[in-house]
Amino acid sequence: MPELGRAALVLCLGLALYALTAGAYAAKTRRRRLARSAQNALLAAFGAAMVAAVVLLAALLRHDFSFVYVAEHTSVELPTPYKISAFWGGQEGSLLLWLMILTGFSAAAVAFGRRSGADLLAWVVPVLGLVTTFFAFMLVAVSSPFDTQVAPADGAGLNPSLQNPYMMIHPPFLYLGFVGLTIPFAFAMGALLARRTDELWIVTTRRWTLFAWTALGIGQLLGAHWAYVEVGWGGYYAWDPVENAALMPWLAATAFLHSVMIQEKRGMLKVWNMLLVILAFCLALFGTFLTRSGIVSSIHSFTQSPLGPWFLGFICLVTAGSLALVFSRLTLLRARTRMESLVSREATFLYNNLLLVALCLTILWGVAFPILSEAVRGEQITVSAPYYNFFLRIFGLPLLLLMGIGPLVAWRRASLRSLGRSFAWPAAIGLLIGGALLALGAGSSRAGLVAYTFSAFVLGSIGYEFVRGARARRALAGGSWLNALSELIARNRRRYGGYIVHASIVLLAIGVVGSSAYQTVREARLEPGQSMTVAGNRLVFRGYESRRRPNHLAIRANVDVYRGGDYLGRYRPGKNKYFAEDQVSNEVSIRRDWLTGGDLFLIADGIHDRSVDLKALVKPLVNLIWISGFIFLAGALVTLWPSAAEQRRLAARYRELRPLVRA
Amino acid sequence: MARSGSPVRLVVALSVAAALAVFLLYVSVAGGTPSIQPSQLKGRSGEVALVGKVTGRPSGDPHTAQGYRFRLRDVEGSASVPVVYRGSVPDLFKVGREVRVEGRLQSGVFVAKRDTLRTKCPSKYTPAKRA
Amino acid sequence: MTTVALVVGGLLAVASVLYVALPFLREPAPREDRLDEPGTLERRALELAEERDRALGALKELEFDHRTGKISDDDYRELVGPLRRRVAEALHALEPRAESNEERVRASG
Repeated sequence: MPELGRAALVLCLGLALYALTAGAYAAKTRRRRLARSAQNALLAAFGAAMVAAVVLLAALLRHDFSFVYVAEHTSVELPTPYKISAFWGGQEGSLLLWLMILTGFSAAAVAFGRRSGADLLAWVVPVLGLVTTFFAFMLVAVSSPFDTQVAPADGAGLNPSLQNPYMMIHPPFLYLGFVGLTIPFAFAMGALLARRTDELWIVTTRRWTLFAWTALGIGQLLGAHWAYVEVGWGGYYAWDPVENAALMPWLAATAFLHSVMIQEKRGMLKVWNMLLVILAFCLALFGTFLTRSGIVSSIHSFTQSPLGPWFLGFICLVTAGSLALVFSRLTLLRARTRMESLVSREATFLYNNLLLVALCLTILWGVAFPILSEAVRGEQITVSAPYYNFFLRIFGLPLLLLMGIGPLVAWRRASLRSLGRSFAWPAAIGLLIGGALLALGAGSSRAGLVAYTFSAFVLGSIGYEFVRGARARRALAGGSWLNALSELIARNRRRYGGYIVHASIVLLAIGVVGSSAYQTVREARLEPGQSMTVAGNRLVFRGYESRRRPNHLAIRANVDVYRGGDYLGRYRPGKNKYFAEDQVSNEVSIRRDWLTGGDLFLIADGIHDRSVDLKALVKPLVNLIWISGFIFLAGALVTLWPSAAEQRRLAARYRELRPLVRA
Repeated sequence: MARSGSPVRLVVALSVAAALAVFLLYVSVAGGTPSIQPSQLKGRSGEVALVGKVTGRPSGDPHTAQGYRFRLRDVEGSASVPVVYRGSVPDLFKVGREVRVEGRLQSGVFVAKRDTLRTKCPSKYTPAKRA
Repeated sequence: MTTVALVVGGLLAVASVLYVALPFLREPAPREDRLDEPGTLERRALELAEERDRALGALKELEFDHRTGKISDDDYRELVGPLRRRVAEALHALEPRAESNEERVRASG
């Protein structure tokens, strides 16, 4: 069986190479059949990758330990879901997952792109072929999941910290996002290579970008939740290089999503958009390079594997090549319109872009700094949370404000008079809530208060948009408010879907601010019967309880929580001692208060014979972060939803020209 | 692009310059923390991040004033230094594991900053836990 | 196991090669093998079509913004004229038939 897997990968590599070379040749010399043949090669590559994936999956499920990979990442008693997630739990398997998604997306892009722009597709194919060749080559020659050995009796098993449901969904979502960014990149490069100056590549990849961006966002949120409940140090984001590796392409993609709208509406910023899509894709590659090469000391770091130099080389090749391509086509990309006013929606989009890219680059600098400083000074100098938080505040707060200003401003030009009128209500709401919060004591954190005020303003402005739109709809077509609202959203999916997404980001911001700027932390060593108080909650330690399970010993500290005179319940933070792996895992206890949205987070930091070192955190509003994820998804779905009218219009636009030529 | 000196370009350039200025100011003032190994500690008095493998027999209690005492040695080498640490100890901490802790050298003992102990994942592609 | 692997692998390889060669097998001697590419005329027409769609889109948005109250009556009056002219120009550039243009502008406005 491993031979089949290996053969399938070699076949995939061959097909990808063919797609690259034959595709490029066909596009250059304008041969129709050869171009078609190269497209078919990409589709066949997907088939080959699937076969390889099935072989690995079958081996994992059958615990065939003659596969080195299976022996390293599973064991006989490992529950089946984790046998499946072990597919992407290791270096080689995760590469195969990447290849599978990449070939799958490429096949889909080719199949759907056949409808229009044959010359564009002809150049997209070799670009996709190039990326596929690289990953297939890695799997064939450098890091194969099909290495074999004499099968041992049992495998090494999966790290207990990975045996939870998050392992099933967090990596796949992230990969869907990372790999998804390849498609807009390929179409952008294809458009440049085909010397096309129109918007076909943007129109074709708009939903791809949205999909990848959404998947990447959800993936990160899942990772944060995993860290929060399972790793349990009381936080959800540590500015670890590997976390940043997913954040950076997401920020670049966010900027791209916005600036692409300007190009569609005004025909401007063509060069900027090219640079952004290249940045997003290269950051996605860089992100996976970071996680795999162990080049930056990080808690996620992998083995110092031979993959590192290959990846770095490929990233340099892609960056240099795509920038050179943009430079060579600069004259084609010159716009003929210019921005009319500094106070227009285009301008706010531009400011938003600048802030997002600035934030992205400062994070990149923070990640790369240790590597660079080691190369220059011989020692790694790392920056940590204070650095990132500083820049998050500097760039994030204005971004938050802009989210509220953007919707209130019209395209092209907004007279200050109509601007003033639009701003009145949302600004009033913002100031009112800000003042109220100040009175309630939120002034303890200046940045927090500012963030809250801005958030109120943004939510006010978004709400105002919905109200205004629904009111106008009712004036036009009558009907109930609910009807008007749903009609409004259905007819203007991009705009109102975008507003919903913005609202979710604001909720995220509120959750982040509340749980960091306004959190309370207390630590104490408690004997049974002793208590400690944190933010009005009295915690009484009642003693330990141990339970023996098949593969671990569960030690729990019983803590009774009281508030005022009310008994709120018994919570059991503690630790699990795993026998086979000789490892201890932290098991935190969280009390969710659905009324206030906050959490009481309990960690049994130190376990002794009689006493416990208890660490308690009160994190206000933290659950808004997770709730915002659902709203984010809902808004993204609204924006992604296909619109028949739009499809017709675009199809007409790119095909009505045929009769023109023939006539 | 129209050559009539669009105001937007000026604003863009100024914002970029302003952002850069803030950035450089911060980085030069706040700086970062050098990550070094025990063998490189000699003579350094400032705050550093010490990276090394846990060795010897850890003793003490990280939640008391006396602190948790262990030794850190070079990842590839034998030079080691005694460390005293107070705060949370990550689950993956054990003898032989690579860890990172911030602090400074004081009279031959590395006195760690509270709650800065982090473990590096053992040699696998596994997203590990942090302190 | 190995024989199964060999057979499946062989089938896969053969199928892939056939699929890749399919365009040539289907049309061994086509009349023309030229990849469709927009000529100068088509490119210009595409540009104009996009300009037309942009102008129409901008007009629609102006109407929407006006109806929802984001743009005041005065601003609307100021902006709608030039926009309508722009739409008319774009339509005219694409199809120089005067009557249908007026209709379209009226219909969208």
